[in-house]
Amino acid sequence: MKRRSQLAVLIAALLPASVLAQTIEGVVLNSQGKAVSNATVEVEGSDIKVTTDKSGKFVITDLQDGLKELHVVASGYAHLHRDITVNNTNQSVTFNLKRSPIEVIDIEATPIHMSAMESASPVSVLSGEQLRRQQAATLGDSLEKLPGVNTNFHGKVASTPIIRGLSGPRVLITQNGLDVSDVSRVGPDHSVASEFSTAQQIEVLRGPATLFYGSGAIGGVVNVVDNRVPTDSTTRGEWNLEHNSVDNQQVASFNATTGTDSFAFYADAFWRESDDYETPVAADIDHDDHEDHSGDYTVENSSEESDGFTVGASYLMDQGFVGIAIEQFNRQYGIPGHSHGGEEEHSDEEESVYADLEQTKIQLLSEYNLDNAWLNKINTRIGHTEYEHAEIESGLVGTTFKNETNELRVDLLHNQFNEWNGGLSFHYKNSDVEAQGEEAFTPPSQTQSFAVALMEEKHFGDFLVQLGGRVERVTINADNVLLPSIDAHAHDEDIEHDDHEDHADTTRVFDVEHEFTPVSLSTGVVWDFAPSYNLGLSVSRSERAPSASELLSFGPHIGTGSYEVGALFDIHDGHFELSDQTIDLETANNIDLTFRKTQGDIGFIFNAFYNQVDNYYYQIDTGLYAESGHDHGDEDGHDHGDEHDHSSELPVYLFKTDDVILHGFEAQFAWQLSDEFKVDLFSDYVRARLKDGGDLPRTPPLRFGTELSYQTSNLSAHLHVTRYQEQDRTAPEETATDGYTMVDASVSYDLSVLNQDLSLYLRGTNLTDTEARVHSSFLKNIAPRPGRSFALGIRGYF
Amino acid sequence: MTKLFKLKLIALAISSTLITACGDAETTIIEKDPIEVPDDGHDHGDGDGDDHDHGDEYTIDSLGRLAVLAGDSNTASFFDLDDDALLNTFTLTNDSNTLSSSPDFRYAVIASRAQDYLGFIDSGLWREDHGEHLHDYKQSPAASSFELTSGSRPTHLVKHDGKLAIFYDGDVDSGTVASVEVLTDNDITNATAALPGITYDINMHGVAEPRGEHLLSTIRRDDADSTSVAKVLPDQVGVYHFHDGEYELEQTLELTCPDLHGAAQNHDYVAFGCSDGVLLAHQHDDEYEAEKIANIDAVGDLRIGTIYGHEDSETFIGVASGHGGGPAVIVSINPAEAEMEELEWQLADGASAVSYSFSAHGEHFVVLDSLGFLNVLEAHDHDGHTHWELAGQVDITEADVTTMPESMSFSMTVAQNGQFAYIADPIAQHIVKVHLEDLEIEGELELTFPPAAITWLGIAEEEEEHDHEH
Repeated sequence: MKRRSQLAVLIAALLPASVLAQTIEGVVLNSQGKAVSNATVEVEGSDIKVTTDKSGKFVITDLQDGLKELHVVASGYAHLHRDITVNNTNQSVTFNLKRSPIEVIDIEATPIHMSAMESASPVSVLSGEQLRRQQAATLGDSLEKLPGVNTNFHGKVASTPIIRGLSGPRVLITQNGLDVSDVSRVGPDHSVASEFSTAQQIEVLRGPATLFYGSGAIGGVVNVVDNRVPTDSTTRGEWNLEHNSVDNQQVASFNATTGTDSFAFYADAFWRESDDYETPVAADIDHDDHEDHSGDYTVENSSEESDGFTVGASYLMDQGFVGIAIEQFNRQYGIPGHSHGGEEEHSDEEESVYADLEQTKIQLLSEYNLDNAWLNKINTRIGHTEYEHAEIESGLVGTTFKNETNELRVDLLHNQFNEWNGGLSFHYKNSDVEAQGEEAFTPPSQTQSFAVALMEEKHFGDFLVQLGGRVERVTINADNVLLPSIDAHAHDEDIEHDDHEDHADTTRVFDVEHEFTPVSLSTGVVWDFAPSYNLGLSVSRSERAPSASELLSFGPHIGTGSYEVGALFDIHDGHFELSDQTIDLETANNIDLTFRKTQGDIGFIFNAFYNQVDNYYYQIDTGLYAESGHDHGDEDGHDHGDEHDHSSELPVYLFKTDDVILHGFEAQFAWQLSDEFKVDLFSDYVRARLKDGGDLPRTPPLRFGTELSYQTSNLSAHLHVTRYQEQDRTAPEETATDGYTMVDASVSYDLSVLNQDLSLYLRGTNLTDTEARVHSSFLKNIAPRPGRSFALGIRGYF
Repeated sequence: MTKLFKLKLIALAISSTLITACGDAETTIIEKDPIEVPDDGHDHGDGDGDDHDHGDEYTIDSLGRLAVLAGDSNTASFFDLDDDALLNTFTLTNDSNTLSSSPDFRYAVIASRAQDYLGFIDSGLWREDHGEHLHDYKQSPAASSFELTSGSRPTHLVKHDGKLAIFYDGDVDSGTVASVEVLTDNDITNATAALPGITYDINMHGVAEPRGEHLLSTIRRDDADSTSVAKVLPDQVGVYHFHDGEYELEQTLELTCPDLHGAAQNHDYVAFGCSDGVLLAHQHDDEYEAEKIANIDAVGDLRIGTIYGHEDSETFIGVASGHGGGPAVIVSINPAEAEMEELEWQLADGASAVSYSFSAHGEHFVVLDSLGFLNVLEAHDHDGHTHWELAGQVDITEADVTTMPESMSFSMTVAQNGQFAYIADPIAQHIVKVHLEDLEIEGELELTFPPAAITWLGIAEEEEEHDHEH
């Protein structure tokens, strides 16, 4: 014993950097006592991560004395946490993993450990085969099978996720933890500038996530993760070719990582092209069915063409990595339903209206493990994005949107002390957003935010406590906010245009500066009250600074078919003036309750939430109409004397604030019937209402569904049925939407050719060819979901 | 100890967040000068804005912009006349440039005769007719990628009613021929590759007047037939008609015009300066009737080599001078009465004219002289006879004009949306804004360089009371 410690002292003297390093050896077994290979064993709060070999064995060396929290993760099994006290001796441990029919994947979006089964607030992750099965051209459509997530389906060309009834400026979309920096939050017809066929996983944080991402994430976060800045140089890759029948879509994509001991390289590229998609019925809900119809129904202007590539390189060090990646993303997509003015007036010859989007994104990511008494790790993310999209009609550029964003995020993770893990996060973001042209409804603005956040977690016996706080400073500067004196009028009043008292036709101009200090606080507890079960509770208070478009808009927005007026303005005696209301923060008070069964042949997750949002910014219908200012070229030979033409008018929507209550649930249940068969059930629901009565528009209906899976070593088959109920809780100007049932199925066969793993697959969607109109879509009356479609594809892995 | 300190730090961070947990929001709004929206000038007489056409919200009220060439560098600077702000400065391709505006005043036209080059810079201020309303645009000035480099020696640029005719003289030394190209602002915007025009088989120092679907352009005959003394000057005028994308010679005016130089047009006539008088072409639909007004005695040995006209002005103003400058005699030409008359007002001794122009609506004719006086002439009607009389003089400089930098002069441009003329002063390095009705200087725009040339750009005010069809 004595000699041993002398040896240790000697070694310690020779290697001053490693202080009395210890070793843990162990084996990971399943509940039948069989070895689990390829399981990873991590030491929390450090960068130590090892993988088990074929006999389930692992060795962790170089550990310092003290209490270590080990985290064991293996595909198909529940995660295992185990505290081990390391004290001068080398230990041998055995971990027994329990099966989990619900796949548990850690998310990368947050500096503290979170997964669907273990954290206080609800998260979901789409990755691997499941991501490939569900990925679509747009983000909302890719994620809509996740509980609590719906799509605002915009004719298949654009969609953003709706998380628990919230979307737009309340749901932040990030790429590797950095803002995706497009203008998708401003309008439903604006596509998300990110690609999912080359992504590794997509993470969804449901409910307020302002703690990690600030103001823009009050409703949730979607983080698209790829390996663009490679963290290791293991050579691997994936390629995919697919053809889809309903829209004649062709997709090709690949991603590959390789490198040397100290350098890693990454490249991906994709290309996708599709025609206007077919629908089971006429696209327009008011279509007159008596007309003879030959051929298929399609949704006009729903075609798409996109391509892009990313290259990245990293320098790998013992202490971490630093790397940079650059992406070029191009997309041309039709803008369906680009009708002018609320009234429909379709000429036989549809004009071609499309958007041409281009984005260049540079990301610099780094992780560095320090040998420091306080700090354990520094994560740095730097992003620069230049985005531009032009809306083109009849060959002419109508409106151009631009966004230039610079972002910096630094997470400082401290060494465990007193068993707390966590760290401080600093976050800076600067966005210049600008729209020019006839439909530029928002003036140019610059938004800058700086935030400091603290996140900590600790296990107290059977309890895990997660705490966090964030203070942010958001400034919005717009030096040219326009208030034109528009001629807004109600349609039922007698229109007398020639009677304008003596108000001068002037456009008032303002220099507007907003400064907000939103603060978010969150507390969560997870209680492992019985083996395999836990109960989570999360309480948060989050504040959001309203976005520039919610405050400063004034003009026609063709994407939503409305004339939008920001909260800075209000109507006084039929004229728009500056609002008397003070512009205030939106505040969400959210309670989340989670009940889970984490392991065994049956697993489930039930979430219930209650979210009261005070000062919720939303649009109300003023009942007034204003000229869209949009010219169709060949319209009438303009004689507006006595007859007033309504076709170029849009309803005026004004941003107001009110207190809103959202509540609902998500339920997931999975039963592994045998090694091959598994049944999943899920349901979700959200009720979004004004505190003083009335419902919010475009709230997704109650949903429930099931998935039956069959999986052997090289064959897998899935049958997915989802029922969307009727939505009749509607906002005043909204109509109810019928329910429908979507049936999807897929089968894939794995084979190995020339040392490559190949997967051939056939996927059918909307097999019953049903008419499905998405209540949460702005285009529900003119663009139903695609009809029956078969996709045939091949995927290779190397 | 360190552990304790860290704990304190965290506690401090948390408590500080709690203290400010109520959040804070502050809004500062500063109202700036409003943008006045003018009436779109369709069909109202004197009612000030009570006749409301919709579409007014799309028009922009702006004094316009100025393009200014620098005398000491190859740059063109653009100023916003509403706030005198410098919007942008562009470096030009060539050394010696002339500056003018495009037919609808959206673009600055940069011509370099010696380099066979014409370039365009978008002022960023323009109007589109959207059918039910007029739609104005205000953007940053931007260099246009459109340029014209195929013609040889672009010399006379003549604008009329939305069209610009560029007369390329050609070059006898290099054996290039004369040609004409006609373009519109839209051609510049769309970078139209093939412009309609005329190609001659000989070089000449000519001029072309665009007029609707016609183009009146000079013709140089064989030297043996030509009545010109300087054979490079043409002595005939052809009427070209635009059909199927090209101009075709339909008529050659029967009267000759020896040593033709200078041309202008008004609503009914096109006038050409000749050594023996002024050739007038009177339009009757597709036919033009030629007439010659002989030089009066006052012209003497001089010849009328420059003519000014305005759509709404009955009379033309002719400037008779010797070849290569010298004293000038200014005459008015009344085509309806076939009369030429010496103006009562003439340039003062020792003064020479540096710039002439009609005002935006043709009621004034302004002459800027080398002594720094802006002479504003006004048309008066005496028993049905139009006389031009001096309305007043504006002294636009306090500087000693003898200190004028070498090879520089004052320059002038007339705004097309009101009563202002802008005069660039290379000595004082500023631009003054003169109200032509009030005869007063109403503003100054300071420059950091000596201006060589200026031109007004922006949205021209629609002429009032059109009683004719185009």
